[in-house]
Amino acid sequence: MNHPDHPELAEAFNKDFERTTWHDETLWFVRQKRDKAVYPVPEFQDLRTLASEIKDHTLSNLDNYLIEFEENATKNGVKVHWAADATEHNQIVMEIIKNSCKVEGRNARLVKSKSMLTEECHLNGFLEKNNIDVVDTDLGERIVQFRNEPPSHIVLPAIHLKKEDVGETFHKHLGTTKGEKDPQILTEAARQHLRGKFVAADVALTGINFAIAETGSFVVCTNEGNADLGVNLAKVHIACMGIEKIIPKLHHLSVYTRLLARSATGQPVTTYTSHFTKPVEGKEMHIVIVDNGRTQQLGREDFRSSLKCIRCGACMNTCPVYRRSGGHSYDFTVPGPIGAILSPNIDLHKHKSLPFASTLCGSCSDVCPVKIDIHVQLYKWRQIVGQANELPAAKKWAMKGMAKVLSMPKVYNLSGKLARGALRILPHGLTHNQSMNPWAKARELPDAPKQSFKEWYEENRK
Amino acid sequence: MTSREKILASIASNKPTLVTLPNVPIFEGDGSIERFKTVLEGIGGTAVELTTKAECQEAIDKYYHDLVNVASDIVKANVAVNLDTTKEILEQVDLAVIQGEIGVAENGTVWVPESNMLNRALPFITQHLVLVLDKNNIVANMQQAYDKLEDIGNYGVFIAGPSKTADIEQSLVIGAHGARSMMVLIY
Repeated sequence: MNHPDHPELAEAFNKDFERTTWHDETLWFVRQKRDKAVYPVPEFQDLRTLASEIKDHTLSNLDNYLIEFEENATKNGVKVHWAADATEHNQIVMEIIKNSCKVEGRNARLVKSKSMLTEECHLNGFLEKNNIDVVDTDLGERIVQFRNEPPSHIVLPAIHLKKEDVGETFHKHLGTTKGEKDPQILTEAARQHLRGKFVAADVALTGINFAIAETGSFVVCTNEGNADLGVNLAKVHIACMGIEKIIPKLHHLSVYTRLLARSATGQPVTTYTSHFTKPVEGKEMHIVIVDNGRTQQLGREDFRSSLKCIRCGACMNTCPVYRRSGGHSYDFTVPGPIGAILSPNIDLHKHKSLPFASTLCGSCSDVCPVKIDIHVQLYKWRQIVGQANELPAAKKWAMKGMAKVLSMPKVYNLSGKLARGALRILPHGLTHNQSMNPWAKARELPDAPKQSFKEWYEENRK
Repeated sequence: MTSREKILASIASNKPTLVTLPNVPIFEGDGSIERFKTVLEGIGGTAVELTTKAECQEAIDKYYHDLVNVASDIVKANVAVNLDTTKEILEQVDLAVIQGEIGVAENGTVWVPESNMLNRALPFITQHLVLVLDKNNIVANMQQAYDKLEDIGNYGVFIAGPSKTADIEQSLVIGAHGARSMMVLIY
């Protein structure tokens, strides 16, 4: 099957020049806020190193930590479920809902706070088909849910939209005044609308930021308070986590809570950092532990450290390609640089263009709070895409041609001379023809010099 | 083979050789009331210093005299809230005044354990939130906070300022789903 690749989808996003510029500048502003929050912490680099090393250790003992976590959570009265893949995850969630709330004459009602895992599993559509009403309660997620779109960023789900778009969406779904675009007024409308949903919900579902093996507890971080409001009003709490969310002890949590929000949005901490250990008497708490390709990634030595990701989104905010191509151009649940190293593990053919959606500038690795070598992994995936014969023909033959030329000094010298001559003589329309030379889209070649450096050096050396 | 066994077996065969767990130090830092107040105000909260805890009532009367429905075990309350309070009653609460346990100067956050909340939903469903904090329980950073905490209990939350969102064009809006304002009374 042919999927539109990243360059095609990025081109579509770039058609609206003003919006692309706004998107670029807004995310760069978030990156700058990150810097302002990070620089005043003298031990910030130590914390990054610790965060990275704790995760390295945890991954190397992951099975035992998961067993310890399960044991402790079970002792706390929490029911633990295991799902090998997305289908099983969705099935488990549906069965919990159907078994826990026997509602008569209406659909069961679920409120969700942000969980990229349930996006990855396409849970919402599955539950709706099975007569369960699903309401995303994070403001950004509610906006994209109304619009029937996936989130375009893992922390800022609606960052691809302007306030006018949100105003239009709320006018249609919440009855706000047509043309109303004030974020304060629109947020208040969503607050009123969602309060009703929180109070009416039977079940609340959350993601998990950190799961603590030692205590069997899990931690959920939000700014809006939607996770706590949902689970504390509903009878049943379902929390879904990938296997990589484990940390060994409570003591380690502080390293991550100091890094997460600073890296994500430049806040010193999220407004709510909630620690769930035991359900209230008479209520239920479930944890669903999901693999869905993660153990396979654990087995790939070059790529296993991608499982250390704490989903802060800093790599997206700093990435010159993400900022100018938008999250939807990645066509994967997690976009940006981290998505480009996670996605080929899931479907190499479908996501073959993503490792190339990078300048390899390395800024993603510089800001990563758990020190994942993202740009190195992007480079390594490129080799695998090439070996799997998944490169586009033009790129493949150009690379093969270049490899030949570069391996033969005489041919290299001659081609250089010919190219310099050609660039001087040929009309601009031909050298910058965009179908023959896609590189020249929005770029200018420099003026070709008369001689190469090698020629100049031979003439001038004493 | 169950999915549990499958996942655990797959991890066992794919995981790398054991890597050492690093030692996480308890970092030093400025744990002053001044820093706590400055950071809290920077994230949209307010901090008021009192001489004694008994002055809480006076402060509430001064700052929140216009709010009708108050839930608290510290100041005068007219909505009784406990574990069994219904959603319909909780929804009516304008102001909750509850005890915070630990304040963290680096991020303006306050630890609130379940035992102080009256009802788990109260700190989130109330329109406005006031946390009361002993100034001797302010620490510099999160390492110090968890060290002091020891046990997180059945449920507990670090709360840093009012509920907020910037999901529409990155414009900060205070009062997303939780409390529209958050004040810490420090005694």
